[in-house]
Amino acid sequence: MTALRLHRELTRIWASEPGWKGWFTTVNHNDLGRMFIVASIVFFVIGGVLAMLIRAQLASPRSAFMAPETYAQVFTMHGTIMMFLFAIPLIEGVAVYLLPKMLGTRDLAFPRLTAYGFWCYVLGGSLLILSLLLGIAPDSGWFMYPPLSSTLGSPGINSDFWLLGITFVEISAISAAVEITVTILRYRAPGMSLDRMPVYAWYILVVAVMILTGFPPMILGSILLELERAFGMPFFQVENGGDSLLWQHLFWLFGHPEVYIIFLPAAAVISTILPVMARTTLLGYGWVVAAAVSLGVLSFGIWVHHMFTTGIPHMGLAFFSAASTLVAVPTAVQIFAWIGTLWKGRPELHLPMLWILAFFATFVIGGLTGVMVAVVPFDWQVHDTHFVVAHLHYVLVGGFVFPMLAALYYWLPHVTGRRRFFKLGETAFWLIMVGFHITFLAVHWAGLLGQRRRTHTYDEGQGWEIINLIASIGGFVTAIGFALVILDIVVNAAVAVRGSRDPWQAGTLEWAMPTPPAAYNFASLPEIRSRDPLRDDPALPVRIARGEGWLGDASRGRRESLTVATATGEPAQVVVLPGNTGLPLLMAVTTGGIFVGMLLKLYWLVPLAALGVATLAARWAWGLGATRDEGPVEGRPGLVLALASESVDPPGWWGSLFLLLADATLLGSLLFGYAFLWTVAPNWPPPTWAEPGLLAPSLALVGAALSVTGIQLADLRLRQERGPWLGFLLGLAGSVALALAAGMVLLGTDPTAHAYNATLWVLGGFVVLHAGLAGLMTLYLTCRYAAGFVTGRRIGEARIVRLWTDYAAGTGLLALAAAWLPGAVA
Amino acid sequence: MLLGGATLIFLFVMVLLALAMRRRDAPGQASGERVWIVGLGLAFPLTVLAALLAYGLVVGERLLPRPGPGVVDVGAEGRQWDWHFTYADAPGRMTEGVLHIPAGRPVDVAITSADVIHSFWVPRLAGKLDAIPGHVNVLRIEAWVPGDYAGVSSEYNGPGYTGHDFTVRAHDEAAWADFLAGEAP
Amino acid sequence: MTDILRISGPLTLWLTAFSAVYGLQGLICSPRWAEAGLDLAAGRMALALAASLVLGLQVAFLLALRTTRFASCSGFVRTLSLGLSTVALVASAWTLIPVATTSACL
Repeated sequence: MTALRLHRELTRIWASEPGWKGWFTTVNHNDLGRMFIVASIVFFVIGGVLAMLIRAQLASPRSAFMAPETYAQVFTMHGTIMMFLFAIPLIEGVAVYLLPKMLGTRDLAFPRLTAYGFWCYVLGGSLLILSLLLGIAPDSGWFMYPPLSSTLGSPGINSDFWLLGITFVEISAISAAVEITVTILRYRAPGMSLDRMPVYAWYILVVAVMILTGFPPMILGSILLELERAFGMPFFQVENGGDSLLWQHLFWLFGHPEVYIIFLPAAAVISTILPVMARTTLLGYGWVVAAAVSLGVLSFGIWVHHMFTTGIPHMGLAFFSAASTLVAVPTAVQIFAWIGTLWKGRPELHLPMLWILAFFATFVIGGLTGVMVAVVPFDWQVHDTHFVVAHLHYVLVGGFVFPMLAALYYWLPHVTGRRRFFKLGETAFWLIMVGFHITFLAVHWAGLLGQRRRTHTYDEGQGWEIINLIASIGGFVTAIGFALVILDIVVNAAVAVRGSRDPWQAGTLEWAMPTPPAAYNFASLPEIRSRDPLRDDPALPVRIARGEGWLGDASRGRRESLTVATATGEPAQVVVLPGNTGLPLLMAVTTGGIFVGMLLKLYWLVPLAALGVATLAARWAWGLGATRDEGPVEGRPGLVLALASESVDPPGWWGSLFLLLADATLLGSLLFGYAFLWTVAPNWPPPTWAEPGLLAPSLALVGAALSVTGIQLADLRLRQERGPWLGFLLGLAGSVALALAAGMVLLGTDPTAHAYNATLWVLGGFVVLHAGLAGLMTLYLTCRYAAGFVTGRRIGEARIVRLWTDYAAGTGLLALAAAWLPGAVA
Repeated sequence: MLLGGATLIFLFVMVLLALAMRRRDAPGQASGERVWIVGLGLAFPLTVLAALLAYGLVVGERLLPRPGPGVVDVGAEGRQWDWHFTYADAPGRMTEGVLHIPAGRPVDVAITSADVIHSFWVPRLAGKLDAIPGHVNVLRIEAWVPGDYAGVSSEYNGPGYTGHDFTVRAHDEAAWADFLAGEAP
Repeated sequence: MTDILRISGPLTLWLTAFSAVYGLQGLICSPRWAEAGLDLAAGRMALALAASLVLGLQVAFLLALRTTRFASCSGFVRTLSLGLSTVALVASAWTLIPVATTSACL
């Protein structure tokens, strides 16, 4: 088959629907990556306008431009938008677009999930913007400390927008993280072992796992605070056994890793671009990978450094002070590895390189002020002043926005297939660079002079007037610079001349394809033997296009890709990926029903929408499930591979595993909160402990045992090609029994009485939910079997249900034991 | 001192960068991982940070409110948007917006809140400490000379945040006795 | 999968241990500790024991990753896991310094 015919065949199979309809039904990472990036830039512009409003307000003393209530909404939304609606989605968008190309595969592991995540993000983000337009936006600061953010401080709907909107948006972060993790571990070009993986993939793997373990504490915190606001469950109210400090722990357990979740993708970009700009390879690949992993984990041990002024004993502070200084070490390793790379090569000063230099100048200052605030006595003076504001802008703008601008200009030719013609970018660079430093050097200074953050105005005569005026002018210059960048991109995307493939002479696989890329990325999947396959073999793109690699044959007429063994990169399975569908959008809208129902206090809508989501989820899984035994298929001429649907560990099993990792972190955070309240909250112990009795615990034990053995039996009988009915029945009965036992916890207690009782409710609710999920999945599997779609060969779905059932049983026993323990001891 | 050290490190990194960009001699001489990563990436920050951590721990330990002779106990309760102060040596006395203390003696301020989270900060006397509902945090302050010291709340607490301030008034020996005796200072 | 555990294990152990020691310190300074009839000296003892246990576990992990039984067959993963195990050991020692040097509940 010629390259052109292969291209036509593959395009017919992989193309999105033409016209406007394609926007809503596409599941292709090329489209969705670009949609993510554009949406995040739109939110960045909105957040930027808010920043300009802040600087306008502070430009002069006693300004009457905004009332304190308005100002509170503006600064809260500025932080919220930049963190949750700009930074994280931009990271996801870039990763969604680039990862499959760098890894040498055709799409992400779960294309429909990408689309679902995107729509959740856009809908949740729109909810927040809507609140801003209506003038009822959140107004308690972006970290939403209760009691100020709870019913006591904000009785209105403002905080609900934050708690529900952000949780809705976080669905997209979690789903992106799940599929990125599975994609990096399993979906690579054959032969790409872990040590041949592009360093970008290593970084993003760390980031994805960090999202899976870092976001659940905040999601839990949001759920608890919303339960307090909506139903009076007093998790953060001190009179009834709650503690507002619990929120701070849960929030910063997320919030500090978040800083590195934002920084590491930027470091990934630098580690990829900088060696290309210096015409060499990265110095110390292994060291940089080790530094990224260390940074990822160490960043989870420093959350309390945001709470240095909350009266925690000195030893507690000292632990976190020590850990906070320690994270500077892996950061330094990376910085010096990059500088060493520059020394090793011959740096060329293209626009992406300029932005990387801007990163160095800015981020190093931000890192050094970060080390300063890690010193407890210093922090006691500058905490909550403009010094901290300046520090975090140096870290986030210098450490994230500048590298992302480098990425933008580096990969722009890849996205558009064009060469940059108009050189507005260089002017924009100098405007932003100079404007940013003027602004935030001044803000540092104001902070050292004692100006507090979040004050809507100040009086004359404190020596702050001129500093603030300078900062505001700098801010406006920066804004003009950003506007110019956007103009530059639009103009060059629209009218510049066509460029060559691989304009930077890079060595990674994303450049081994024609640009702009085809929907299927690679006409055939190349065999990889080094870290820079394209540099070692300049003829690679031609051989890929001719179909000389794996899966270079479109005759089966469906979207196919390949999974590999995690460590070695040996090809393992052929995967069939789903085609265009509007299901993700429909499901996202239905999911939105849950959040809107909570927001408007239309509580009848919530279970209805949840039911809709469950139905759609079943439809979703049913649509892609295999309906006939196929046997091994040809991966390349003469070499056969098993189909993923006929393996014991299909991609869905891996995805479930990592989703459950996030879920387990959520439960862990809940148990932490429970223990925290028990030790620290002032009004403990509660008036009475719940008595477990004998019935409920026995029911729970029997239920857990039944569900686990039931699904195990079904699995065994299926593989022996015998009837699994008894196993299904036992599994169902077990799930019901477990849910009943947990239901008894719920019925036996009044959740508004004390934080203890409220915690019992959440623990019980967790078990009911998961036992219910396991039960529904068993039912689904039963239907699949009845329809003849599950066999001893197509065992994958049964293995996935088994994983969920085992998890529900294990966590169910753990959660219920925690609920009953104090009552049993007392 | 912190600022000076930080500036030096920043300049050092910038010089290394500038040299890297300007160099036009033979590239690829593998001065390598040992110098860049082990030397500059590991050993250098570990040394600096160890010193910094030790300094922070020692100073932090010294600022702790240990029980001692002559310590005066007062209470501060934040609320939206006001501060109430009480005095262990004058039970029943309560002042609003002005905290009276003796100059030249260590004072322990027991800080708490009646509603949302606030923070007690008198920049010239000590660092800040939060007022958290249900918790009492103790901050040690000491004013060397009599006079008025400006204090502010420094944790965002609602629309009245900007104007939520107070004064610490340090008295000499005689005026403090007068205050305790209930005479208007 | 095992290789992923080799890479992530040592630092995860650090995080768990670090959080646990912090939690223990919180418990010691809380009213619950006194209610159980224990004093501050017992608390310091418990902290010291916990810290030594953590360091012991980290050393054991490091040594185990060097044995043929637990080491990875991939050279890159072996080097990486040994390096990260060393990082975890250093991190444990560094972040537990306060157990020995600062006052517990002030």
